[in-house]
Amino acid sequence: MSGLVVDRELCIGCGRCVRACASGGIELVWEGPRKFAQATDACVFCGSCVDACPVDAIEIAKDGPASAGDLASYRDFWVFAQVDAAGHVLPVAFELLGRARTLADARGCRLVALLGEGPAAPADNVDALIRAGADEVIVCRDERLSSLDAEVFAQWICSLARERKPEVILYGATAFGRELAPGVAVRLQTGLTADCTVLELDPATGLLQQTRPAFGGNLMATIVCPAHRPQMATVRPGVFAAPAPDSERIGAVSEVALDAALTSRVRVLEVEPAHDAASVADAERLVVVGRGIGSKKSLPLMRKLADLLGAELGCTRPLVEAGWLEYRHQVGQTGASVAPELLISVGVSGAIQHLAGIGGAKTVIAINDDPEAPIFGAAQYKVVGDCIEVVQALVERLEAK
Amino acid sequence: MSVHIVVCVKAVPSTTEVKMDPKTNTIVRDGRASVVNPFDATALELALRIKDEAAGKPVRVTVLSMGIPDTARLLRDCIARGADAGLLLSDRAFAGADTLATTYALTCGIDALDEPVDLVVCGKMAVDGDTAQIGPELGGALDIPCIADVQELLGVEDGVLRARRATDGGRELVEVALPAVITVAKDAAQLRMPSIAGVLAAQDAEVEVRTAAEVGADTARTGLSGSPTQVVRSFVPERTHEATAIEGTVAQQADRLAELIEEVLR
Amino acid sequence: MVDILPLSAEYEAYLRDESRSSGTADSISFPRDEEEIRSVLQTLRTAAPRGGVPAPVTVQGARTGLAAGAVPAGGHVMNLARANRYLGLRQDDAGTYYLRVQPGVILSELRRHLANKTLPVDGWDAESLAALDKLYAGPEQFFPTDPTEASACLGGMAACNASGARSYRYGPMRGHVSALHVVLADGDVIAVRRGENRAQGRHLALTTESGRTLELDLPTYTMPCTKNASGYFIEDDMDAIDLFIGSDGTLGIISELEIILAAVPAVVWGMSCFFEDERAALDFTVAARPKLPRAAAFEYFDAKALDILRVQRKNSTAFASLPELDAAWACCVYVELEADDEATALNDLALLGKLLRDHGGSDRATWVARTDTDRETQRFFRHAVPESVNMLIDERRKTDPAITKLGSDMSVPDERLREVMDLYRTTLAEAGLDSAAWGHIGNNHLHVNVLPRNAQDYAAGKELFVRWARAVTDMGGAVSAEHGVGKLKRDFLTVMYGPEHIAQMAALKRQLDPYCQLGRGNLFDPNVCEGGA
Repeated sequence: MSGLVVDRELCIGCGRCVRACASGGIELVWEGPRKFAQATDACVFCGSCVDACPVDAIEIAKDGPASAGDLASYRDFWVFAQVDAAGHVLPVAFELLGRARTLADARGCRLVALLGEGPAAPADNVDALIRAGADEVIVCRDERLSSLDAEVFAQWICSLARERKPEVILYGATAFGRELAPGVAVRLQTGLTADCTVLELDPATGLLQQTRPAFGGNLMATIVCPAHRPQMATVRPGVFAAPAPDSERIGAVSEVALDAALTSRVRVLEVEPAHDAASVADAERLVVVGRGIGSKKSLPLMRKLADLLGAELGCTRPLVEAGWLEYRHQVGQTGASVAPELLISVGVSGAIQHLAGIGGAKTVIAINDDPEAPIFGAAQYKVVGDCIEVVQALVERLEAK
Repeated sequence: MSVHIVVCVKAVPSTTEVKMDPKTNTIVRDGRASVVNPFDATALELALRIKDEAAGKPVRVTVLSMGIPDTARLLRDCIARGADAGLLLSDRAFAGADTLATTYALTCGIDALDEPVDLVVCGKMAVDGDTAQIGPELGGALDIPCIADVQELLGVEDGVLRARRATDGGRELVEVALPAVITVAKDAAQLRMPSIAGVLAAQDAEVEVRTAAEVGADTARTGLSGSPTQVVRSFVPERTHEATAIEGTVAQQADRLAELIEEVLR
Repeated sequence: MVDILPLSAEYEAYLRDESRSSGTADSISFPRDEEEIRSVLQTLRTAAPRGGVPAPVTVQGARTGLAAGAVPAGGHVMNLARANRYLGLRQDDAGTYYLRVQPGVILSELRRHLANKTLPVDGWDAESLAALDKLYAGPEQFFPTDPTEASACLGGMAACNASGARSYRYGPMRGHVSALHVVLADGDVIAVRRGENRAQGRHLALTTESGRTLELDLPTYTMPCTKNASGYFIEDDMDAIDLFIGSDGTLGIISELEIILAAVPAVVWGMSCFFEDERAALDFTVAARPKLPRAAAFEYFDAKALDILRVQRKNSTAFASLPELDAAWACCVYVELEADDEATALNDLALLGKLLRDHGGSDRATWVARTDTDRETQRFFRHAVPESVNMLIDERRKTDPAITKLGSDMSVPDERLREVMDLYRTTLAEAGLDSAAWGHIGNNHLHVNVLPRNAQDYAAGKELFVRWARAVTDMGGAVSAEHGVGKLKRDFLTVMYGPEHIAQMAALKRQLDPYCQLGRGNLFDPNVCEGGA
């Protein structure tokens, strides 16, 4: 029987698990003279109580592996290499190759890049992938891969995976990657972890430990996929550093064909390229504002600060949700990951999901009135104070110069 | 030609702002009632607009959810706003499902409906999970195409749906023959409020509640048992380092900040 | 020690409030507690020339008032925004909670702290902390007074006896204040607690902290039996605390309040109902009031107000997310229902639907808000009405900067609702003035706004308001039902009570504030206050 199991021999009825639970999924019950923890119907198996238990009395038990096939027959790390409209491999693919190279070496297996592209694609994609760490590039050049159709790509990857049995497949958490990866996962009936910020190997089992923010970013959850293969995850662009290309590296190239029966079922009638509006993702200087600025009325002041610094204006998710700024300004897990030289964070409390997006910033200066705000943990400099007053004064200084 | 639309909705906490108790470093429960995932609310509105614009042609909207029995309350609210029927999959066997097991359960629910489904509308993601996986997985499971991240639904005509969706490079105008799955961005529409008549009528509407067995689900593929992924550890992230505090009066702080900025940008 | 700062350009914003009128002052201070308030008063007295009159003191809170009560008339501005601490909590035997706060606590902050259970507890004693544990463990509590501007502060709200939409059910601020500390102009302090000190007829004795006893003769007027924020609250055998609530900062400076919390009702539903014409909306309101005893609010938006909103919705992205208004409907009545359980609320809802149909509305063309998201949408809709009218006026001010919106704040008894609406409509039409009306129709209290197109309109509007003040007084109504009198409506107050009663009020003030320092220009002309004219 699967479920949350409390070992009554070990349980001391301390109630730490009850306090740790965010969903009312565990309670204390009296039985005779003793109190025991017991799961309720509201349990979502998040594991918070397992961690909180001081006597290791709680575990999430699962029935034996439901997976078919021999896990040991799955080998190698694969990285899906998405290309942009001009046909060039996206930076996130190189970032993933960099991280996966380390993991593959530790695991003693090969690192393979998957490249699907149209017949007219630039010629140097394969070499670039090898220089970034791939031992092999599986490349398919086909007209049907010249536009990004998640279903066609998913079918292609699935047929390769069934045949070659990779142990891990990683995808960039781009719009396309987030659509493609679930399509592969459901067809291969395997697990998929979205938006990971940490990828590690469990030294004991060799399992890929995929860590991502949960519960609005107040908790981090480490997720594994023990009995199904391949283990799959998407990772936001900007989380890992791209390796310096190694022009000495050599690698194998396998050209494969696409199943003749595969056709796209979605017709693209028009393509509107994104406006060339400056993007927060590429900005060298950023002013990021959060709910602490109080009201929409404070935005012009913040814009002024950004203008004076030649910076772009970014914001946290609640501001986008409140309609103060458009989504393209959003910085964090579900917005853009940024890597500016200077980031001035104003009235941002610093939920983990936001912090996940600013890890690449070189210098962070944070202004917030709450001395306990988590943003200060990610900042080099902090100002504890009324962010409007401080910014007003700062704007005056900058204007005077 | 009639069109049957299924809108998948998830009950989520009314706020994703989870407070931490600084003393115990554990989550403070706020005990508020759950709400329909805001993305799914948009999905319902788009489905209702298809119904509004069908001009006499029968369009039926069914809301489908997997959740605890209390979720029926939310499905009834969807009916008050204009949905025709609700199906809630509720069973201990569904608990602890990851996206794959959730997709399987929803697929069983869709198969159990009386009428075949022409269009499945999902929110792009749930605010409490942010995975954005259910829609594309449903497309794969049902073997029908999926259009993710729809920003604007242009309509359904003669069994063909047109929409504008966001892509990595911008936006695309696409069309697809039904049956299909779409996932919708939250800003694509704002869910209408129910009317007095709608609220009163929804009280008498039936929200079907079915167990795993009743929808023919194999419990080895549902809930915790059917989930390939499992959480091995949840932890409160630690602060990495201490920032240098800039102290003094506001004026002094501003002076120091201006200097610092100059240093950094030099 | 608190600084008295020269009122330099840096503090210019403190010469204005939300009424958009502006005053003058020489100095400003930001005391943080009662001691600092007294110290400022002391310093001002010492600074006065021997035998001379100390500087006038205008007390400010969040400056959200609409009657210019916080706009200084020379002298000193005492801004209490920094006296914003939460002081303690107690629970009585009946289970009611009483929260002690400083006057600068902001309403929206208080709401947020109560909803999120994050009241700041610095310096609280063990008893308060124990009460807080109980409060957090029990049903959610709230403070019922809900002025439209939630950034108001509690001291200011008590000073003008603020109201809001829910005052239909909960009454104004007055009933939700159980105790006050009031610093008098001379720095002495009066602590008043509801139920502990009553007048004998029209005679009230107050004892100050220094042991002085003040024997006060109260004015002789009779207040109207309507929602009222015009002048001092006076009645036979009145409670001492009620003299200070709604006194517009003219009798003393509120340095501490104890407010009464209430449990959040289990069910709160908001319904926007639409009508083809005003007559139907009025008839509906009159019919619905007695049949819906659990209604917390009846709010009205007239055809012109909705039209302006429709235009702004099209033109401004800020309003784009407003729900679309069907062109078939002219005006709207918003009804808020409270209930202990859903079944009761559903019964009331069915009844509301029937009443609506009986008055030419449709229960299909209604908006019901039962979730936070929908409540927020409706709140946004209601607040967008005054905002979109302000935008229209701002547009007109570009051509004639002298124009401002003229907003009325008068109430009448229930049976006079149709009559007063007839008066508004007829006189506005006769004068050929553009207007938009909205507000608290449940209390027969509408804000009729004249929207001047030019200076002539503006003058005609002002004249009309004086005429309305007379007519409303004749109907047994009040010239200011919730905004207070401040500086802008003191002429109406004279219309309402007559010069003799105004002189009595001024005499009462002088007993507490002999130099007429506090709230100069509020309620009375400074000359009247000083016993002249």
